[in-house]
Amino acid sequence: MTGRSRASRLLLWYPPAWRARYGDEFAELLAAELAERPRDVRRTFDVALSGLRARLADAGLVSHPLDHAAAARAGLATLACCGALFATFGAALWSQLATGLRWAAPADHGITQALDLMSLALLTFCVVAALGLVELIRAAIATVARRRGRTLRWPAMLAVASAAVLVFGGRHFANAWPGTGGHALTAHGLVPTGAVAFCWSVTMWITSYWAHPAMLAAFPATQVAWMTLIPLAACGLMTGMAQLIRRLDRSPRALCFEIWLARVAGGGMVLFLCGALRWLSSATAVRRIDAAGLTVLVLVIAAGISAMRRAGLERRAVTGVSGTRR
Amino acid sequence: MSRSQDANETDALETLGRSSGPASLILSSLADGAKHGYALTKDIESFAGVRLAPGTLYEALSRLEAHGLIEALESQDRRRPYRLTAAGATALSSYLKAQRQVAEVGLRRLASTWALT
Repeated sequence: MTGRSRASRLLLWYPPAWRARYGDEFAELLAAELAERPRDVRRTFDVALSGLRARLADAGLVSHPLDHAAAARAGLATLACCGALFATFGAALWSQLATGLRWAAPADHGITQALDLMSLALLTFCVVAALGLVELIRAAIATVARRRGRTLRWPAMLAVASAAVLVFGGRHFANAWPGTGGHALTAHGLVPTGAVAFCWSVTMWITSYWAHPAMLAAFPATQVAWMTLIPLAACGLMTGMAQLIRRLDRSPRALCFEIWLARVAGGGMVLFLCGALRWLSSATAVRRIDAAGLTVLVLVIAAGISAMRRAGLERRAVTGVSGTRR
Repeated sequence: MSRSQDANETDALETLGRSSGPASLILSSLADGAKHGYALTKDIESFAGVRLAPGTLYEALSRLEAHGLIEALESQDRRRPYRLTAAGATALSSYLKAQRQVAEVGLRRLASTWALT
């Protein structure tokens, strides 16, 4: 393999925006280094590590050396992805717990309180998502009106198509919800059955059945196909929305509003975890909460906090308010 | 120049975090004129005995450029030279003065206590 092709391969560690700015000159330096010292593990490791740090910066998770406004938007896009991941895993947990309660009344108030807290948290997510979407549509209309909307076409189409798959498929497969026909007991708390059925349907793929193919084979083929399709559609929706958030120009005031929305969503995440902990602390909780699911939720919160902190710092840099960069 | 001004300009390098070490070497190398990536590596190796790895070098270069301490010139072929800005020169001067003060105090104490010169 020639020095140039090795340099091009090493360059792939870096994100596209970084490569667009520094790619040529960096490849030139790498080619010169490779000609001088063809084998150097330390150099490969250094390039990989710097590239990963550049990718984290590109995702708005660490300081971004290129552009404050782009860094703030990247932080918001990562935050939106964290929120979507949290909502997905949270909705899976919530719908599975709520489904069990359709057939048996909870023995104590702890379970009802837990479900109420989780329901409130998910409601908060819905409100934040709706407000964020309105703001995004407003920014998209303004961008299209300025005739700069060409780059928005593909992400918008991907997001709309993926959302359509999730909504129509989710509503169709919700008919097979195992809670259908159960008792609508008021003691179960703030749990609208239609919402539970839909959440169960669109989070059906989050299951340990994947580790047991023999049991999975007993499922109807259409259901297995749907379980395979959901994560693809969810990834499509998240990618489309993240690209839109990153590509749309926003005023510092709009960025400020979106960061405020993100803080509210962060409050919702904490509320949901409080609900899960209340469930765990309840002496009569028959159904245990999946530890792997809870771990994912905590990790997503940690990534969300990092992205929120970075987006806030970069937004202050955009508006000229002093802030410490690290 | 007042002491607080000196402190602020030294901070310009300190705020670069893990890149502050390579940054001072890069600024010192650019102090005598513009250089591209490979020339910077060779020059730093000759005067500091440190060979900056390419990833570390460009991470520091991008941060220095973002902070306005260096600027990129028109590229020669695929190589792009960088040069020091006025802000970069001031920041480097303050940083090196602070380092010299530390070095002088340390050497003086070594000489008086350990008889090392």
